[in-house]
Amino acid sequence: MRAILESLLTLALGILVGAAIISLWGRNPWESYAALLQGALGNARALASTVSRSLPLVLTALTFAMGARAGLFNIGAQGQMLLGAVVALSVGLLSLPAGLQLVAALGLAGLAGALWAVPVALLKLLRGVSEVISTIMLNWVAHWLALYLVVQKLSDRVVGNRTFAVPLGMRFPSVYGELTWSLAVSLATALLLFWFLWHHGLGYEVRAVGLNPKAARAAGIRVGRALSLALLLGGVSAAWAGAIQVLGRFPYAITSDLANLGTLGFDGIAVALIGRNHPLGILGGAFFFGVLATGAARMGLKGIPLELIQIVQGVIVVAMAAPEAFRLLRGRTTKAKEGVAT
Amino acid sequence: MQSEALLSAQGITKIYADGTVALTAVDFAVRPGEVHGLLGENGAGKTTLTKILSGLLQPTAGKILWRGKPARFSSPREALRAGIGMVHQHFALVGPFTGLENIALGAEGNGLLLPMRAETIRQKLMELAEASGLRAPLDVPVEELPVGVQQRLEILKMLFRNVDLLILDEPTAVLTPQEVAELFPILRNLVRQGKSVIFITHKLREILSVTDRVTVLRRGRVVGVRETPGTSVEELAQLMVGEALGGGVRRAPRPPGPVLLRVRDLRVPGPQGRSAVEGVSFEVRSGEIFAIAGVQGNGQSELVEALVGLRPWAGEVEVLGQSLRGKSPAQIAALGLVHIPEDRQNLGLILDFHVVENSVLGGLKPFLDFLGGVRWPRATRFAQELLQRFAVQARGVRAPARSLSGGNQQKLVVGRELSKSPRILLANQPTRGLDIAATRYIRDLLVRLRDEGMAILLVSADLDEIFELADRVAVMYRGTFSGVHPVEELDREKVGLLMGGVALKEAIG
Amino acid sequence: MSALWQVLPVALRAMVPITLAALGEVFGEWAGVVNIGLEGIMTVSAFTAALASWATRNPWVGVLAGLLTGALVGLLHGFIAVRLRGNQIISGVGINLLGMGAVGFGTWALWGAKSPMLERHLWIPEVPGLGLSPFVLLTPALALLTWWLLFRTALGLRVRGVGENPMAADVVGVPVEKLRLLAVVYGGGLGGLAGAFLSLDWLHTVSATLPAGRGFIALANVVFSKLNPFLALLGGFLFGYFDALGIQLASVAGLSGGVPYQFIRMIPYAATLLVVTLAIGRARFPKALGQPYRRE
Repeated sequence: MRAILESLLTLALGILVGAAIISLWGRNPWESYAALLQGALGNARALASTVSRSLPLVLTALTFAMGARAGLFNIGAQGQMLLGAVVALSVGLLSLPAGLQLVAALGLAGLAGALWAVPVALLKLLRGVSEVISTIMLNWVAHWLALYLVVQKLSDRVVGNRTFAVPLGMRFPSVYGELTWSLAVSLATALLLFWFLWHHGLGYEVRAVGLNPKAARAAGIRVGRALSLALLLGGVSAAWAGAIQVLGRFPYAITSDLANLGTLGFDGIAVALIGRNHPLGILGGAFFFGVLATGAARMGLKGIPLELIQIVQGVIVVAMAAPEAFRLLRGRTTKAKEGVAT
Repeated sequence: MQSEALLSAQGITKIYADGTVALTAVDFAVRPGEVHGLLGENGAGKTTLTKILSGLLQPTAGKILWRGKPARFSSPREALRAGIGMVHQHFALVGPFTGLENIALGAEGNGLLLPMRAETIRQKLMELAEASGLRAPLDVPVEELPVGVQQRLEILKMLFRNVDLLILDEPTAVLTPQEVAELFPILRNLVRQGKSVIFITHKLREILSVTDRVTVLRRGRVVGVRETPGTSVEELAQLMVGEALGGGVRRAPRPPGPVLLRVRDLRVPGPQGRSAVEGVSFEVRSGEIFAIAGVQGNGQSELVEALVGLRPWAGEVEVLGQSLRGKSPAQIAALGLVHIPEDRQNLGLILDFHVVENSVLGGLKPFLDFLGGVRWPRATRFAQELLQRFAVQARGVRAPARSLSGGNQQKLVVGRELSKSPRILLANQPTRGLDIAATRYIRDLLVRLRDEGMAILLVSADLDEIFELADRVAVMYRGTFSGVHPVEELDREKVGLLMGGVALKEAIG
Repeated sequence: MSALWQVLPVALRAMVPITLAALGEVFGEWAGVVNIGLEGIMTVSAFTAALASWATRNPWVGVLAGLLTGALVGLLHGFIAVRLRGNQIISGVGINLLGMGAVGFGTWALWGAKSPMLERHLWIPEVPGLGLSPFVLLTPALALLTWWLLFRTALGLRVRGVGENPMAADVVGVPVEKLRLLAVVYGGGLGGLAGAFLSLDWLHTVSATLPAGRGFIALANVVFSKLNPFLALLGGFLFGYFDALGIQLASVAGLSGGVPYQFIRMIPYAATLLVVTLAIGRARFPKALGQPYRRE
């Protein structure tokens, strides 16, 4: 389909720009990319690492995608992700039987993410506050809140630069190499949300509101309920991204500068756009970014910093803003506004 | 008497990017000093042709001669500079700007970094208003002015720019019969001053009243050019539609049944804090079509929105004895009142959903299982039945609603609403913008439904439609009814007076 | 209590970037274009301003560089939004990401892992006698200029016309695309000035997260201002005050009264949310805001 082609072209554009920067920097881009691919896919261990890195991206991308389907620009995944990670880790302080701890961690983390989405929904519905502004502000508040908790309340007594480690019973069992069973969380969420959007009545309402809120309202759909649902589900998904990053990946803790949680929330936006806000497309997009992330570590050995990935990401998002550009390139004019010719 | 053509279009063809053929080899000529009618039903290509002539669109093929020389207008600015200006059906006015600002926009008379030459412009406008008879306030935000006044500003805007050819696209759609009667002498006045006018309409009567010649378009082709004095309503109708216009299903008088919809002292707030509907009362019975006539902008939209639960209201409204107070659109539909919206594309359908998804819009519950999941196979069968029963042409049941023609979209909406087994149908401008075949279908359907006992509330600005379908007519003017009468007591002139706010007793006296 | 007074001089500085970026966006939104990439513009401009100032040993060249950078990025956004008729919000998000990534890469490349501190002679000098930064005086002047352009010139009439009903403007021959591009470039340029101010006149450093959300606070300011340049100035001071409060309480020991450092840092963002929530009355925004214009 045209959509897939456009996504692929955007990826190609991003890669090309990255190559240009690498050349300007004095290195050979093709060697660098070869190193990247080698590092990401070269052997089974590398592949496991790549998949492992893409799992939280699936979840944060779903956050943005759910919002987009409802007609919203939900960029709050970063904050919700941080809080989800912190809450999940904190459950380690409770003494519960082993299997229950993990479940409780996911449950409470999801709750935290949903709760962090509540103000966004309330402000939008009651005061018409743009979700772009409210989610960014909440991201920053969550950032500082997480820092406080990590540094002041959850830090490890012995090792100075991180929180205490997740108890062994609470970690996701390993599958192979870096890949753990947190895989199940990402896949299940993606499939569940896919089913929800296209096969559930409420998901239908979310899509209707996203495409035409006036018609949806006239048809009796409760717009506020649909928007809230999209935001809350997105919050849960983002929180789980943070949770699995802590419970499903080394170092099974949170570093004092939140570095191992990085920018997973923002990265999810690019993944969602590449995946056209469709859960199945998101799986593909997340894998691509997983490749970039894993390979970047390898590329770093050759002197190319991780920030290059962010540049590639930015280029991709900017390019995704104007998919019609590709149509222009291929010589066809943009689709005329539909309407009976009079 | 031959005159050199002022504007001559030859072989104009227009094919849109998605393959729609709007115009095919159209030849069209306007003489200096004439009112030239451009006649055709909705969808015939009239607006497309004139958008090309005024520079808003580019033809796929063909050429244009202006004052005998070849011309190409690649933007409205170039057409305007040559002397061609168009007043569109949906006015090109900037709402919050005053009349003066709207007219000055683009012709401020000064450097860009300086303010506009307000006094000079005002002076010229006063002179123009005197000469043409078009009077309009210049210092009121345009969105607060009645539509008829807005139109005068639009025309003044073009006269200010010294156009020699003025194109008017369906100018009478928003006017009362009296305002129409005021417009025509203004046009003839312009012609006397040497200008030409292209008058687009689908109303035969108007062609005969004001034009000198008429070109008839059908399905994007010219099917005839006539000197107006030498032609007739029948001939034009024949050309416009391609066959003799048969009458519709005859509406037989019927004793109406019990009251199904009762409205008492309905008050509905409108834009900017003012009241849109101020105390309206009426009843609609089973087996009758109750029509609300009136020029748009007198509160009809707000009244409809209130009745279907999309706008807060005060007063009393009862459907089958049950009050509608506090009820949501879904609950109102469950009570038996359904709605064919005025704006089918934005309110009635979700254009990016496919036919099946649209056919369950507002009626999803029967297709849900106990978990809330949607039974799509069942919904698909339902959609297929709908398409068949209402003769809706679509590429398939999964075709996006966007791909359907206007008439088919409307039939889909109507079919969907009727499948909710309503007792009361609220039809708001149900045939606006539809071609003759679809219009015929909808009107016949409404009469049939009425015969089967449905209560129908029809809101329409089309007097022909009112007279064809209604049993009783209320005319809405500035938020109230200026009269409720059985249709037999009315004619066009009386309705026109009512539309202008004059109560009949006064008028006759 | 005296802490609240001590904050004032810092508040005046904090007002500058939030107001400048907001003024630029106000102009753009009157023309119908939304640019939420202000944060990215500020980030990149801060970087190029610092770089140019360091390279030429002249802070004013740095300011110019920042201005031009912002204008160029604005042009990019305008190209996507207007010419390519793309999604304006997504383009803005992309610009933010690009800005973060580019500056992250750039600072790493030039200065390694540490954030550089700009030497004193590269800073913008204070206005003699007033003890104020020239930007603090420039900001109200630019507010006046923006207002005058929008409401007292033919250009402004056309800009506002284009934002409310581009088809109406097109019909009378006003070049819709050119005007919208101009408006976005103006907005980007002011955003660039804001970025230059951040690195050269206030924080004296460069990093990928230098604006720390101020670009978005500026957006909140735009909402608060209801597209009125003077209200944007007032709002800029209001938001700037909270920004400064956070900084002052956090850095001056003993002022915070025992409240943890991280909570103090939350103040600007929580305050912004509060202000936006309490803002009375919905503004009337241009009808065509965010919608690309097509002639057919």
